[in-house]
Amino acid sequence: MRTENPVLIIGGGPAGLRAAVDLSEMGIEVILVEKRNELGGAPVRWKYKTLAPMMRPTEEVMNPLIEHVEKSELVKVYKNSIVEEAKGNAGNFVIRIKNGLDNRVESLNVSAIIVATGFEHFDARIDPRYGYGKNPNVIGIHELEAMLKSGRVVKHDGQPPERIAFIFCVGSRDRATNPWCCTVCCGVSIKQAIELKEILPDSQIYMIYMDVRTFGLWEKLYWKSMEEYGINYIRGRVSEIYYTGEKLLVKGEDTLVRGPFEVLFDMVVLAVGMEPGQGTKQVAKALDLAINEFGFLEPKHPNIHHDSSKEGIFLAGACVAPMSVEEAIAEGSAAAMQVVKLLHRLAKPIEAR
Amino acid sequence: MSKKSKKKGAFIIEREYIDDQRIIEPEHLKLEEVDMSGRWGVLVLPRTIEEFNHSLYEEIKNHPRGRNIHKCWQCGNCTAACPVAEENPLFNPRYFIHIVKMGYKLELEKFKDYIYLCGSCGRCSEVCPKGVDPSGVMEAIGTVLRRYKL
Repeated sequence: MRTENPVLIIGGGPAGLRAAVDLSEMGIEVILVEKRNELGGAPVRWKYKTLAPMMRPTEEVMNPLIEHVEKSELVKVYKNSIVEEAKGNAGNFVIRIKNGLDNRVESLNVSAIIVATGFEHFDARIDPRYGYGKNPNVIGIHELEAMLKSGRVVKHDGQPPERIAFIFCVGSRDRATNPWCCTVCCGVSIKQAIELKEILPDSQIYMIYMDVRTFGLWEKLYWKSMEEYGINYIRGRVSEIYYTGEKLLVKGEDTLVRGPFEVLFDMVVLAVGMEPGQGTKQVAKALDLAINEFGFLEPKHPNIHHDSSKEGIFLAGACVAPMSVEEAIAEGSAAAMQVVKLLHRLAKPIEAR
Repeated sequence: MSKKSKKKGAFIIEREYIDDQRIIEPEHLKLEEVDMSGRWGVLVLPRTIEEFNHSLYEEIKNHPRGRNIHKCWQCGNCTAACPVAEENPLFNPRYFIHIVKMGYKLELEKFKDYIYLCGSCGRCSEVCPKGVDPSGVMEAIGTVLRRYKL
């Protein structure tokens, strides 16, 4: 089944790559537009070491997708590019792709569009409590992930940290910042705590949480961290982090004891949440797609992520709602399936549609 | 030489806000040759937790009946099932496990007489979803407290 016009996929992360692989394996031509200069999305950009919950190396999951897309004759990849404009209807959209390096603009005809523009990590500088960006050794989970991958977790002075705190829900579940739950940061933080303990077995790790939301099978990580790795959990919130010149004084409340604490730590890891990025906002504008109150792309029907508010445009991955890599990959496949259905319908004579 | 007040820090305004454990009333206190005994020498320790001290916790973990304390995730099934907790709100096995795990020694001292109220009925251990055996942990806490003559 070959169509005249190729299918446009915006975003080269787990969801977009999976959709590109599925469509090209069915003999459908794909145009993959990626804003950055490499494929792989957040897992590659932030150098994720492993993926929760099974702690499988990121390369094992992402590399087959990237390699397939780069080798396939049916997939044309536009890196450093964005989709500026899309006009037309299902079956025949006219799009304009702009290269961000040389500002070259190319017009193309496509049959359907899959939007998989993903997410950005919350910028913890917006919440002044943690002194992120000012205090040394206050880092985000995305930065720790790269440190874990390099096998060298050290403070700014090159020494390994002895006592480490993870603060959950940074930027999430708060009306002042993002009022939603990012769904994966609990599990990712716990996964990282286990990996830290493997690199630094003598370190003491404290998880400062509001709730531990290790949904589904991710619960296994939570139990393992506690029972096999001796990681401590404190229910509470942090009000301030103060750098003493040597260590970080973390002020907060232990809500189980109903008492304030002020304890010194060597390193603080912020479980920064997920939010719609600039890419999602730009695409929503360019394609005139509906967005919800939180800025994520709004599907046509609640509970069904893949149909956008417009016919012929489909959604997949974390541009719809915060989700894990495994879910984003499944959504990429789901969106590809919807495209095939659409092309199949359009191939029929008008009266038979 | 001043008399020791009957109740610790009885002269403190709004005394009932402060736990006994946090009031330090030295009988004789001399600072740079000046006698500071009496009201001037009374200290109130801050409520702020300044350190997570795991030494007591490690001892309890090494006790044969306390060895599963690290599995506790503070769900509260034990306290919900406890017939003693039903009668006495100050007996709360979930809470005792938490303060031991985090090493809040002063808080543990406050409840030292309540830990022995456990009747070892074992209902908590039956309902515990993680196999902590809270009834055994209560026994282990008691043993360790006696070791320190608390």
